[in-house]
Amino acid sequence: MIRRRHLLAATASALGAPAIVERANAQSAFDWKQFKGQSIEVNYQLSPRGDIAKAHIKDFEELTGIKVGFEQIPEQQQRPKVAMEMATGHPSFDVVNVGMHVQKRLIERASWMADLRPLIADKSLTAADFDQADFSKPSMDVATAPDGKLNVLPLNQDLFILFWNKELFAQKGLQSPPATLDELMTMAHQLTDASKGQYGFVGRGLKNANMTFWDDILLKWDQETVTPDGRKLLTDTPAAVEAATWYQKIMRECAPPGVIGFNWNECQTTFMQGRAAIWWDGIGFSAPMLDPNKSKVVGKIGFAPDPAGKVRNCATFIDGIGIPATAKNKKPAWLFVQWVTGKKMLTEVLRTGSGTPARLSCYAQTDVIKGSAFPPEWFETTQTSLNMARSGLPVIVPVTEFRDTLGTAITNIVAGGDPAGELKKATAAFQPVLDKSNEA
Amino acid sequence: MSTTTATTLSRPVTTRGHAYARHYWAFAVPAAVVVLLVILFPWVFTIFMSLHDWKVTGATPFVGFANYAKMLQDERFLWAIVRTLWFTAATVIAPVLLGVWAAVCFASQFKLRGLARTLFVLPMMATPVAIALVWTMMFHPQLGVLNYLLTSVGLPPSSWVYASSSVIPTLVMVETWQWTPLVMLIVLGGIASLPQEPYEAAILDGASAWQMFRHITLPLAWPFIMVATVIRLIDALKTFDTIYVITLGGPGTSSETINILLYQTAFAYYDLGYGSAIVVVFFLLILLISLLLLRVRQREAWR
Amino acid sequence: MNRHRLRRTLGRAGLYASVILLVSPALLFFLWMLSLSLKNELDNTAYPPVFIPHPPTLANFIDVFEKNDFFAYTINSVIVSFSATALALVLGVPAGYGIAKAKATKAAALILIARVTPGLSYLIPLFLMFQWLGMIGTLTPLVITHLVITVPVVVWVMIGFFEGLPGELEEAALVDGATIWQAFIHVAMPLARPGIMVAMILSFIFSWNNFIFGVVLAGRTTRTLPVAVYNVLTFEQISWGPLAAAALVVTAPVLLLTLLMQKEIVAGLTAGGVKGG
Repeated sequence: MIRRRHLLAATASALGAPAIVERANAQSAFDWKQFKGQSIEVNYQLSPRGDIAKAHIKDFEELTGIKVGFEQIPEQQQRPKVAMEMATGHPSFDVVNVGMHVQKRLIERASWMADLRPLIADKSLTAADFDQADFSKPSMDVATAPDGKLNVLPLNQDLFILFWNKELFAQKGLQSPPATLDELMTMAHQLTDASKGQYGFVGRGLKNANMTFWDDILLKWDQETVTPDGRKLLTDTPAAVEAATWYQKIMRECAPPGVIGFNWNECQTTFMQGRAAIWWDGIGFSAPMLDPNKSKVVGKIGFAPDPAGKVRNCATFIDGIGIPATAKNKKPAWLFVQWVTGKKMLTEVLRTGSGTPARLSCYAQTDVIKGSAFPPEWFETTQTSLNMARSGLPVIVPVTEFRDTLGTAITNIVAGGDPAGELKKATAAFQPVLDKSNEA
Repeated sequence: MSTTTATTLSRPVTTRGHAYARHYWAFAVPAAVVVLLVILFPWVFTIFMSLHDWKVTGATPFVGFANYAKMLQDERFLWAIVRTLWFTAATVIAPVLLGVWAAVCFASQFKLRGLARTLFVLPMMATPVAIALVWTMMFHPQLGVLNYLLTSVGLPPSSWVYASSSVIPTLVMVETWQWTPLVMLIVLGGIASLPQEPYEAAILDGASAWQMFRHITLPLAWPFIMVATVIRLIDALKTFDTIYVITLGGPGTSSETINILLYQTAFAYYDLGYGSAIVVVFFLLILLISLLLLRVRQREAWR
Repeated sequence: MNRHRLRRTLGRAGLYASVILLVSPALLFFLWMLSLSLKNELDNTAYPPVFIPHPPTLANFIDVFEKNDFFAYTINSVIVSFSATALALVLGVPAGYGIAKAKATKAAALILIARVTPGLSYLIPLFLMFQWLGMIGTLTPLVITHLVITVPVVVWVMIGFFEGLPGELEEAALVDGATIWQAFIHVAMPLARPGIMVAMILSFIFSWNNFIFGVVLAGRTTRTLPVAVYNVLTFEQISWGPLAAAALVVTAPVLLLTLLMQKEIVAGLTAGGVKGG
């Protein structure tokens, strides 16, 4: 409650106390109350970003007088639901959260979203301090269609990083996190003692989910999963086989049994119980590990950027927020999008460790960093990773089918399959699906 | 109550009320119309979609039987059929065997029978999604309670749903746990309706419990066991909630049955045309298998 | 005589052992579910597991109701299940009567098709249809689709009960000049009241438990409990306690109903199952 009031006060002062200005000088200040009394529906994927937005909905409602119906549902349900509703042309929501790493091409191809450019350009609809140039270039590239249309505004730029357990490292005389793939492999072996139920490493093995991780590994060989034109799969090249072999080795020799069925949540539990020394996954999963009610590794946890391979980089997965082309209340919806991607809200996301926003100015606010529960190391890791981030997952229409088909091969490889053979088979199976999606 | 109902059910068909019989069908009309409306439109529309390349983006050209032809070459679909059949066989046989055993037990008199029977029936009444979520927690290979129980009695831990080799047996276990009670209830109804004389005679002859079961209960209750088998078969083929929640067909595709593949195709890959074609084939498969078993059952009943 | 006695004792021991073996998986499962819901997260993921909550906490239940709109979902579930059950009774009780009297196996078969059809196959067409009609966002689509579950249940159970009723009273009524409708309303229906009760409970339970229709057809304000519980699987953390608590909240009404009405339910399922074939 205190926090909410505090934030409200801050918001009000930042906007020049709109309630008073509204009456006094309507022309010079932005009018947040112009759609007072209207209502909008907002649809989010279940995520820490969604939680933050939900927690601050009241602030938005007080600021604008717009009533918000807010819902967040798990991504496995949200994606199909959104697609089905969009396809019928009567979506039940006015604002929608889109996982661009999965649905970028789909929404572009189907022209489901409204172009945000005219809304941003309209001075009566967009506050002067909105500052579109503040969004990182990679995130704007993802948000923008090839024809220049702005489908969404970037909300979050998830980054793959390493979580490491300082206590377990110290027990083996290790001081610092691995800087390269080779070091990671060696350390993971040193840290594994299966007879005691201690494992050096844990990472996603579950089909579909494992593709973000494997893609991140593949990037260390300086290779993407598909050619830049999105037409030919590169998932059976020598580099792909090497990446898969590396993945197979660490997962088979250093990760707990059953790991092929692990999604991020099983990995997180294993790591939080202190049973794995290194976990390699999205930075967005940081927050619960600092919660003493849930985690046994509070105070022992370290954060580090992705290890280097042939090149140094890390995969980033961007999600955005936009307005359906057929939405009923586009203008009030735009106020919401503007608010939730604004500096204030995205800084709050960063401060609480709920994500790594695509707005660069958030990271420059040193007082936020000081006031955060996260150690400076976390912010350093974020900065380093942002600077070397590359888009993960191919930009094609059938991303989910890609993740399932190739992900099954990757799962089979961890189960003991031959990397080259499995990848060849899956690539041959998926190439026709990709070809067909490119025909249409 | 159960005794009365079951007894009258097995009574031979009487001719009472025969003169009015032709008017009685009118009572069923409203229900039939509603059911027809709710299932007919989806059916027509599904068949229609299955003949088109129906995706969520843009045009939906007519493609004839291309979606059906695709199925024959789709390795993933063919494996899903094989998997569905093996999963179904296991989730029919295990509950039927256990259900018959349970029915024989619950047909006897003992203390707290009512309570025991109710506890036994609870799994089939509980909400499947809720149950499946709790099982998932129990299967966690490192922290799950099941592996703790296994290792504490000296057995090696299992990977449960976290390995290709053990995922289907584990799902079969969950389904068996949940649906054995249904078989038990049906067979129990059958046993309760059986005449007492053969048992009395057998006891006088000094027959053992096993002999009585083998030579009296089993043959007389056989029609009921067959009914239970058919119902279980239909439900087993259609299993969705449990697999969806626990594995979504994984690891890899090791537990992907037709129903799951169908969901993925339509709702994750947005390929509604192909998904609809799978629906049609799946329905025919269910219908065929159930009719086959019904036919067998009728022959048994006539014997 | 002595040997007979020994065999009898062994038989009883075997029987009790069997019953314990049969009942314990169900009992232990639900106890473990309860235990998970009453412990904090550290105890829930502890290894070796903590079996008895010490001290038990209601935090998980509070968490579930605070973070999710479980009251609204409960109301939705109640409305959907009650409406679908009421409609099914209106349609299904006369249908069961007609089919039982006329031995109308064809009508029965038609209604059975609804049971054989996989639930998923309704979803795409019905979703599209309800979208076109602008009904998504209301509870009506859910009630209509739930009829696919409730009507067959009611019809089966009622066929069983009406076939079990002695026909003499109705025949007497008919001889006295009553129409068959009057005979049904005034004679058969009151006699079948226990059957209607069973049909109602079973139809309610199966409608309550349905998951997949809600996944596709329910929106923010129309979500039912089984869908809501699946959504408690949060993105950023594994939370076994709240999840178990939510699971318990969803399934508790049907479990309680089963415990309270066990005799009737057992009777209905035996009859319904038999007619299901």
